[in-house]
Amino acid sequence: MSRKRVLLVPLDPVHDVGLKMIRRGLDEAGHETILLPPDLPVHEIVQEIVKQRSDTVLVSRTLGYGVAELLANFVDLLDVVGVRSKINLGIGGMAIRPELAAELGFDAGFGPGTTVEEALAFVERREYVEGSQKVVKNKRDLAEGYSYSFRHAGIQAKLNLIVDMILNWAANKTSPGVQRAAIREELWDVQRWRNYESMTDFYNEYKQYCDDLGKNYYEKGILHPKTRRFTKEEINSSEEYVRRTQEVIKTPKLQHNRTKPSVFNQYGTGCPFMDIGHIKVSEAWGADGVVHFDPSWGARTEGFLDGFLTHQEDGTVITPANLNRIKKALEESTLWQVRAHRGLNTPETIVLAGKIGADLTKINIAYGSLGAGTDPARMTVDGIWAIRYAAKYNLPFDVVTNEELCGVPAYKAFAGMLITTALGIRLGGKPILQPLFCKSPEVMVGGQMKDNYVEFNAAKIMALRQIIDAPMWPGAPVGFLTQTEDRVQSSASTAFHASLAAMLGVDAVTIASSDEAYSGGPISVPSKIDTLRAVSEAFRFFGQTPLASTPQMEVWRDSIVSGIDSVLDKIVERGDFVQSLYEGILGNREDGAYPGRNGKDTVTTI
Amino acid sequence: MPKILDRIMDAIDFETFLVCNSDEEGRKLMVQLIKEWGFKDVDIVFSQYQGPGSRIRARAYVHRSGDVYGWLELGNEE
Repeated sequence: MSRKRVLLVPLDPVHDVGLKMIRRGLDEAGHETILLPPDLPVHEIVQEIVKQRSDTVLVSRTLGYGVAELLANFVDLLDVVGVRSKINLGIGGMAIRPELAAELGFDAGFGPGTTVEEALAFVERREYVEGSQKVVKNKRDLAEGYSYSFRHAGIQAKLNLIVDMILNWAANKTSPGVQRAAIREELWDVQRWRNYESMTDFYNEYKQYCDDLGKNYYEKGILHPKTRRFTKEEINSSEEYVRRTQEVIKTPKLQHNRTKPSVFNQYGTGCPFMDIGHIKVSEAWGADGVVHFDPSWGARTEGFLDGFLTHQEDGTVITPANLNRIKKALEESTLWQVRAHRGLNTPETIVLAGKIGADLTKINIAYGSLGAGTDPARMTVDGIWAIRYAAKYNLPFDVVTNEELCGVPAYKAFAGMLITTALGIRLGGKPILQPLFCKSPEVMVGGQMKDNYVEFNAAKIMALRQIIDAPMWPGAPVGFLTQTEDRVQSSASTAFHASLAAMLGVDAVTIASSDEAYSGGPISVPSKIDTLRAVSEAFRFFGQTPLASTPQMEVWRDSIVSGIDSVLDKIVERGDFVQSLYEGILGNREDGAYPGRNGKDTVTTI
Repeated sequence: MPKILDRIMDAIDFETFLVCNSDEEGRKLMVQLIKEWGFKDVDIVFSQYQGPGSRIRARAYVHRSGDVYGWLELGNEE
């Protein structure tokens, strides 16, 4: 590429910032640049072009009253002195469009958002390939770099005792969920299934461990009343939509100069096609990962249906076909979490997600038992197997603490989270701590967020870091119970919480849409864009600014750590983890936690 | 349904400031307005009444989950 002589001409009275940025890029590329002072008369500019023997002239000018005439005169004068045909002439500025530039006699026009790369391509007289400069995102391993070593010896010792207690208790126990997971693991081959080969051996065995919903489906073909199958035409259209979208999509980075936190949002409209629509938009606006939400009844049923099914209410039914379609629609860099934390299909969800290619899952025995309706004994047996399968399929899992939203104090929820975490480490898994960034009932009553939302949330992270070196993923979504139906307030609150997470150096955040608090209908895709945009702006605003510790944070940090310690003491003293769940040591009725009843009396001794 | 509406992925929101005398009146007028424009599945997502009137946002769902989506049919058009 030959070196070009480029004259940069700010025709605006004052603004030449854009040209200065372009000049830097051109200089770095080895071109010779001269930047004229702003607002010279047209004839002086033409004299300079002749005098400098410029190859290229880049003019910046915001369009306004009389400006078109000024620019036309400029081009005419270049013609008159005989240089117009010898130079490459471009114009940029607000309201400039390529068509308008051509009408005025310029070779190219650059509007707002023009990149230095575009200007460079123009100067070098080569085609600008859009997207050639796009940020290429790589899938991050959220657990990478953590040792999982404990920093608090006392808590570590108690957790070890409790993990022993759990594994001894469960050693001779099983459940229909564990058995289905084993059948799915042994007899369901994803490649055979993808090739439409017969899976009769699997189905015959599997349906014996399903409840009526599953049996009716596999024996009589009866679907859940709120679901229907897709038509072939719909499937073809969806495949075409995904193909076209994947051809043009770019996946921007939200974090500015940071490498983390990865930003997740949730989908679960009920319909896999609508989910795919939401996912593609989220990816195009910078989401690094997406989380699959299944319907609440999915947690109460024994067994999965099969088939490509849409659901008329919130939550997208987990079936192999639904997960497989969604997986195929994802960009390569997108992290995909399939939640398995709360119901009667917990271990099987992980087997299915692992075989189909999920990146992450979600497990917490304490939350599943106390805040999500599953019987504690059943949840414990199933949770252990869920963790074993997560380890086998190399699925890091977040340990969610949503029982805080019921009213369980953070320290109790964290004790439960740390027990599942310690169990996960023992079984070879990669747990990710998920403290909530939320305005929980605990702080509403206790006043910890009377002045600000920063210190108590920060204290949670500080407390957990004092206990263990493990990845963290505040959720879910961040800002829970602070967002209202006002999309400005909601987006701002989400962005502030995400920024707090970034400043604390955590690994990921899950964010809500701006209509998360609206309960009258499904969330809409523009509302997802609202919060992705807000988070992106907030990350840009704060950059790599760290968060300073305050005395109040330290007080709350210490209080959370000692609270966790005291809960673990009580469980050790009780000598029975499952009974501790029933008896409220990790959250009682007064806190708003109730031992679940789904799957009660289904645990059997082998 | 007109073709352009087919391209709406799920819902269309309308946000404005209505001069009105109460939150209730603002909500009623907004729903009435959107329905007059031919939308059927209409709701108020957000309303904030203060003094001069309501800052208000209405939503009309064009495609709900489980519907047949017009935007999936656009493959051969251009």
